[in-house]
Amino acid sequence: MYIIETKNLTKKFGSLTVFEGLNVAVKKGEVLVIIGPSGSGKSTFLRCLNHLEEPDKGEVFIEGEKLNVKNKKHMRNTIEKVGMVFQNFNLFPHMTVLQNVMEAPITVKHESKAEVLKRAEVIIEKVGLKEKLKNYPSKLSGGQKQRVAIARALAMTPDIMLFDEPTSALDPELVGEVLGVMRDLAKEGMTMVVVTHEMGFAKEVADRVIFMDGGKIVEEGTPEEFFTSPKKQRTKEFLNKIP
Amino acid sequence: MDINILRDMFPVLLKGSLITLELTLISVVLGSLLGMVTALLKLSKNKLVVTVAGFYTWLFRGTPMLLQLFVLYYGLPYIGIKFTPFQAAVIGLSLNSGAYMGEIIRGGILSVDKGQFEACKSLGFTYFHTMKRVILPQTFKIIIPSVGNEFITMLKDTSLVSTIAMVEIMRSAQLLYASSFRPMEAFFITGCLYLFMTTIFTTVFSYYEKRLSVY
Repeated sequence: MYIIETKNLTKKFGSLTVFEGLNVAVKKGEVLVIIGPSGSGKSTFLRCLNHLEEPDKGEVFIEGEKLNVKNKKHMRNTIEKVGMVFQNFNLFPHMTVLQNVMEAPITVKHESKAEVLKRAEVIIEKVGLKEKLKNYPSKLSGGQKQRVAIARALAMTPDIMLFDEPTSALDPELVGEVLGVMRDLAKEGMTMVVVTHEMGFAKEVADRVIFMDGGKIVEEGTPEEFFTSPKKQRTKEFLNKIP
Repeated sequence: MDINILRDMFPVLLKGSLITLELTLISVVLGSLLGMVTALLKLSKNKLVVTVAGFYTWLFRGTPMLLQLFVLYYGLPYIGIKFTPFQAAVIGLSLNSGAYMGEIIRGGILSVDKGQFEACKSLGFTYFHTMKRVILPQTFKIIIPSVGNEFITMLKDTSLVSTIAMVEIMRSAQLLYASSFRPMEAFFITGCLYLFMTTIFTTVFSYYEKRLSVY
């Protein structure tokens, strides 16, 4: 059984079709990296996986459970298992680092404060921000913010993590620290779907790479096949333009 | 101005100013609750609810408060609904304040980054928890200056209820000068008391503004 599966997934913005009929399946523990030019529909596809965007047609299955707009409670419970990291972090600015990480397990899962605190401290230490516990996000660098965002998602003990261009808003110097945390996660066996422009990360960490353009999957394969011997002309063009 | 007359008038006007404060606080608190509901209704996806809330703001922002108070106090008794001056004043002021607060709060909610809603959704928050834990606390910080403004406007607008036989500070001033023929003394004290009250509110609000700017 696949941990994520889309069937005939279609998304339109008005008369513009972003993508049509996408069938993608991800196995447990797999790291899937989606690359492609801007406007190719890769981010929108990722955002459909946890229904931040409602698909116009088709279905998303998370651990075999179909996401159903009409059953909000079931949808929330299913989405809880899917953590998401955004390009612009979207941390809660009125909460400290620790509060950001503790908020969802307490509010959404009604876990006890003491239990969540223990877990939160471990996770925050894992992303290397132990000394920033009491800081507000405005006092952190971009890389630190993104690591808090990852910690916040991990605090919900998700089975799947989605990353929507997690390093695109960062200073080049700060990209490494975020990719480092993601690499560790992948090593621990987390199922990850990553939309990124970081080819180095894709080569090194991905189990499978999907190249999207114009709302279609142009090519997919293991990083070795994909980067060393791409089959499609469009893929070659794209890879040639990347330094 | 005669110091003795000032001294005689002061206790009466101070008492009136307490009524003014009471009216302001009750109306702004009720108005804020009403405004919160109005703002959430106006942001809902249900068209009927949006229309009803829109009608309310349209009506109460689009007509003078004096007219609203007159309808409540002088008009409604003709269809069998009677209010005491205090009741009519509180209802009128709250409904009016609610319409303005609704727009302030709605604007505040809309100016919270859309990414905050997305983060909440991706973490499995319900609408209620999203609002309570994440959106409204941020809204509150954004709207504090406007709310302070509304508070002060409301404090001064309570003077309008003097026209429906509600004895607050303005009405007390009118009564005093009519009986003593000493308008300057009465209005001087009244002005000072208004300034004193608005200064307190301004100070309290700038304190909160500073406290909330830690993030």
